[in-house]
Amino acid sequence: MAPTFFFYLFSVVLVLCAAMVVSSRNPVHSVLFLIGAFFNAAGLFLIAGAEFLAFILVIVYVGAVAVLFLFVVMMLDVDFEQLRSGLQRYLPVGIAVGVLLLAELVSVLVGWHVHPAATAVRFAPAPAGVSNTVALGELVYTKYILLFQAAGLVLLVAMIGAIVLTLRDRRSSRHQRIAVQNARVPGETVELRTMALGGGVPVADILRPRLTQPDAIDDDPLEPTHHGGHHPADAHHAPEGR
Amino acid sequence: MIYMLAVFAPLAGALVAGLLGRWIGDRAAMAASVLGMAVAAVCGPLAWAMLEWGGAPAGTIRIATWIQAGSFHVHWALRYDALSAVMVAMVGFVSMLIHVYSVGYMAHDSYRRYRFFAYLSLFTFAMLMLVTANNLLQLFFGWEGVGLCSYLLIGYWYDRPAACAAAIKAFVVNRIGDLAFAIGVAMLFLTFGSIGFTTIFAHLAQHQTERYHILGGSIRVYELIAILLFIGAMGKSAQLFLHVWLPDAMEGPTPVSALIHAATMVTAGVFLVARMSPLFDQAPAAMTLVAVIGGSTAFFAATIGCVQNDIKRVIAYSTCSQLGYMFLGEGVGAYPASIFHLLTHAFFKALLFLCAGSVIHAMSDEQDMRKMGGLWRKIPITYVTMWAGSLALGGVFPFAGYYSKDAILEAALAAHSAVGDYGFVMGILAAVMTGFYSWRLLLMTFHGKPRGDHHAMAHAHESPWVMTVPLMVLAVGALSAGFLLHGIVIGPHWQYFWRGTLVLAPGNQVMTAMDQLPGWAYVVPSIAGLLGIAIAYWFYWWNPMLPVRLASQFRPLYLFLLNKWYFDELYDALFVRPAFALGKLLWQTGDETIIDGVPNGLADLAVDGSRGAVKIQTGSIAVYAFTMLIGLVVLVGIFLIWG
Amino acid sequence: MNWALALPEIVLAACGLLILVIGVLRKSDSAQLCSMLTLGAFLVTGLLVLTRPGGIGYYGQFTVDSFAVLTKLLILIGAALSLMLSFDYNDRQGIARFEYPVLILFATVGMMGMVSASSLMTLYVALELQSLALYVLAAFARDELRSSEAGLKYFVLGALASGLLLYGISLVYGFSGTMDFGVLAHALGSPAQASAGLIVGVVFVIVGLAFKISAAPFHMWTPDVYEGSPTSVTVFLATAPKVAAMALLLRVMAEPFGHLLASWQLVIEVVSIASMVLGALAAIGQTNVKRLMAYSSIGHMGYALIGLAVGTPLGMRGVLVYLIVYIFMSAGTWACIIAMRRQGLAVEKIEDLSGLARTDPGLALAFAIFMFSMAGIPPLSGFFGKLYVFLAAVQSGLWTLAIIGVLTSVVGSYYYLRIVKVMYFDAPGPALDRRPSMLGFVAAVTGVFTLFFFLFPGPLVAAAGTAASALFG
Repeated sequence: MAPTFFFYLFSVVLVLCAAMVVSSRNPVHSVLFLIGAFFNAAGLFLIAGAEFLAFILVIVYVGAVAVLFLFVVMMLDVDFEQLRSGLQRYLPVGIAVGVLLLAELVSVLVGWHVHPAATAVRFAPAPAGVSNTVALGELVYTKYILLFQAAGLVLLVAMIGAIVLTLRDRRSSRHQRIAVQNARVPGETVELRTMALGGGVPVADILRPRLTQPDAIDDDPLEPTHHGGHHPADAHHAPEGR
Repeated sequence: MIYMLAVFAPLAGALVAGLLGRWIGDRAAMAASVLGMAVAAVCGPLAWAMLEWGGAPAGTIRIATWIQAGSFHVHWALRYDALSAVMVAMVGFVSMLIHVYSVGYMAHDSYRRYRFFAYLSLFTFAMLMLVTANNLLQLFFGWEGVGLCSYLLIGYWYDRPAACAAAIKAFVVNRIGDLAFAIGVAMLFLTFGSIGFTTIFAHLAQHQTERYHILGGSIRVYELIAILLFIGAMGKSAQLFLHVWLPDAMEGPTPVSALIHAATMVTAGVFLVARMSPLFDQAPAAMTLVAVIGGSTAFFAATIGCVQNDIKRVIAYSTCSQLGYMFLGEGVGAYPASIFHLLTHAFFKALLFLCAGSVIHAMSDEQDMRKMGGLWRKIPITYVTMWAGSLALGGVFPFAGYYSKDAILEAALAAHSAVGDYGFVMGILAAVMTGFYSWRLLLMTFHGKPRGDHHAMAHAHESPWVMTVPLMVLAVGALSAGFLLHGIVIGPHWQYFWRGTLVLAPGNQVMTAMDQLPGWAYVVPSIAGLLGIAIAYWFYWWNPMLPVRLASQFRPLYLFLLNKWYFDELYDALFVRPAFALGKLLWQTGDETIIDGVPNGLADLAVDGSRGAVKIQTGSIAVYAFTMLIGLVVLVGIFLIWG
Repeated sequence: MNWALALPEIVLAACGLLILVIGVLRKSDSAQLCSMLTLGAFLVTGLLVLTRPGGIGYYGQFTVDSFAVLTKLLILIGAALSLMLSFDYNDRQGIARFEYPVLILFATVGMMGMVSASSLMTLYVALELQSLALYVLAAFARDELRSSEAGLKYFVLGALASGLLLYGISLVYGFSGTMDFGVLAHALGSPAQASAGLIVGVVFVIVGLAFKISAAPFHMWTPDVYEGSPTSVTVFLATAPKVAAMALLLRVMAEPFGHLLASWQLVIEVVSIASMVLGALAAIGQTNVKRLMAYSSIGHMGYALIGLAVGTPLGMRGVLVYLIVYIFMSAGTWACIIAMRRQGLAVEKIEDLSGLARTDPGLALAFAIFMFSMAGIPPLSGFFGKLYVFLAAVQSGLWTLAIIGVLTSVVGSYYYLRIVKVMYFDAPGPALDRRPSMLGFVAAVTGVFTLFFFLFPGPLVAAAGTAASALFG
């Protein structure tokens, strides 16, 4: 009785949260509802006896992903109203498509006929004494080693992609270049002058060193980390309208 | 094995020169190309000798399966029999000499030369594929291959408009012949269910009486096929009505003229008729047509050759005329004589072209004979070899042409038919003119006062040895090929030599009747040639003003001949201009009314559909996503309703 | 467990990791080196693919048969050709970074996994590996608005397609209790055993895969992404992934769901017709060559789908022949497009080609050969591709497909021939820049293949036939 009750509780709240994610006006609220949805999904997993998945969901999705989302939403100046401006226009189409798809799926589910094998999988008893985590580990490192490694490659590609698309050497960032510092001689930076008594200080000459080289610093051959460098924006394509 | 080497060595040379030429440089490319040809020139005659005297069995060498679709099987295979082997030997040998010659001739060309040599070798390979073909499709492949290569080679100097125009002309005129040829091949397949020579020849008796009924009349299948194939041969061998491309093709470099327009490609038509001789023997009407066209071309081309002033054009028309002789021989059933003439002609015509090239080379690219003269002291080797070539062409004893040309003329007379007699008369007249224009060429070029400008004459010099050695080799061939070979090739035992590859119709005794003609028949051709030579001497040696007087007296005739019987103008008025007009009409109505105006029909539908399809391509992700989802809904719906 | 079955993939992935390390450590001008190493890795992998024995391994998740071998070789060839085309282009566009070959390499690993997948799970993971790399590649010119937009569009729509695919897989799993192709095929031995839910799942799977081969109406991303991505990436998108996704679709439809042919045949027919019609019509008004080629590729996938709709080994053979022909002809066309550069700037309008026959006869000739081949004019290879699928359709009585195919290819030839007309008959514009030798090389190799395919179609057709019958074995 209790599992059934909780199943419906979590399910209803989950669906409501999901609806609020897409419909709430404040993006921060959206993210918070998303977190709520994750928690409820974790609850569903718990009921199904998959405690490992439940905790992974909470730790990874709520702890890392959703919080990151929250940061992005709060820190970036994204005009969400503008993003939502198409909503009015597409809403009728969206609803129509959604309703049709739902109708089709429902009409399929009416003739629900589950293959015996599928039923057998569902009713197969969990082996005693093997915890969720152990069972997963045993499968992932033996039977599914290929898929596991391939998934690892997927993550690696995602990482490479993130680096390729975002990391760049900013022109404004300054690094310490010890070799350049050591190579400096007093004559480059320090100048001795005889000042006329009571003649005042010629501002320009004193505050500026004779050799200023901000450009030379950026293009310094000693620091050739330019795979993320800045490139002329017009080099790629001839600008062209569609 | 040797045979395969002979066929594929030129291909290897062409590939190395063509694909790697840019990187390995001209010299290496030339070396590769010449090396490939040298291998072919050694292996080709060797394979032929092994077949004739070494006891090697004839047969086919299968290389790979080409097309297999339903009942239509075609294999890549090399046919190894007397006819193919002798052609391979000739093509490989002559082509090798021309390759060597080209090394010297093209030395000062400003273009990258690897391209030239690659084309030249590729052309040789295509020709070898043609003559070794075991079925008509492979033959057609070689046929188109030589056509393509000749197009590339004629247009080799692609920045000369005349060269490009000539290349296109050659291509188009050949297409007309090729179309007929392709239809003929298709009909053969319909009739025999195969396009392999062996199958066709084996089943010839079965379809002998089948007829096609068209346009109220009816025609025997064999006649129609033979005529179609012959039209293809006419295009390739530049016979009357389809000859217009050959003289223009002289725009290409001279070695090309020597190789393509004298020794090899143009003989493809003659070869085709000889190869299909079992079929032609069953088609007497087609044979008559072959003989008439051949005899007429021999005469017609010779008349034009008499008045041309461009040294290469004279030889080009002479080629046309000699090809006419070959068809004449085939038309009366004397295939061995025709192929024999083909072989000897390859030697002396290649020789004449190469000599002409040497003259042009010496004269700093001058081709007009009126601006030459008195050259014989400056370029003695060329002079002597050119004499040898001319003697062979004129049919003077004991040069090659004497044996082969006379054999054809004798066969024509021995046929004892109206066509044969017509051919004989035309041939004799042509022989007179052949002697005339050959010596006209010799006398105008090498004798008399130098008429060129001083610079050119002062610079006139003998060609380097890479050019003169091939000349000398060919001159020896022109001198000796006739009396060395005529005994075995067309002698009493010709059937042993050809081993069943050339078939005479049962009852056709032309090869034996040749030897039983009245005595005068053997003398007349030689006398005709000598007469022509004498006339030439009279006109251009003792009496140099006579030709000018004659030309002004018979001005209409002179212009008629000089303008090549106005064939180009006729075709221009009949075909080219109407085609342009039609094209323009179609273009105007097509572009202006269908595309620009307000159209209807399919084009309209297409344009509207295009606009509609592009309209939804707004660039908005949401629209795209919705389209996908709508597509999904539709597909699921389709499944639910019909699936 | 025979782990060595996946040796080519393992070796390639290991090479990828190594190249990544080398690229990071060398820092400066490592792009060229890494590209070369990647080419080498492709070569080694190709040899391994050719020489390794076949079989099923990893508990039925991974299979190597002649079908996988053929398509893997095609994928490697496509990837190698497009990588060769990228050398000079990336350099001049300022996007020559060592991550580029690495991403191409991992995408290729994903594609090889796709064609070897014999379980829905392997299929999904490999597909994602490929897709993710492609998303990043599409946005590779990140300082370029069009490229970023292309990457984003591709990513969002691809995620939607992946979602549909995953939903379909879960439906199939839920209704049948297995994801293994062999078990599925056994369980679905007769159409009666398949519930409606399972077939709806199959439809979802088809939709997800149709997106990857950009078949209508799931093609919408194609023109924008083709146009926006750097051309070197577009070349890649247009060659290898097309083969991989189509091969995957073939395997999924033939192996586990082969007995349900009657159920999904109509769906494939509709998708095929929509793609052919769209590919023929929408390209007519285009002025941008890259966009035009995008529509052209949609049309080509429509023709290939005819063979799938036939559903017999003969039809599948037709599809494979089509893919073989397509990959060469497409790579060649893109080599010509990538050579379009004037005064250092890439140009991509059709009118930029005007009079090319006079300014660069070699390039114009190659381009014309590819255009004629794409239009399906004999005796070029494109004609044979179409011939084999049309023949298969006619033999199975699918006259509608064959007739629509012929009609659309007539309409489609209009825009291919228009390019030839622009090149050969329009007044020449300013000459294009001198093209790098690598482009000439690729165009020459693919051009020779396209031109002379008709000489020896036998061995390739036979190989395609063997591969196709492996699906039904």
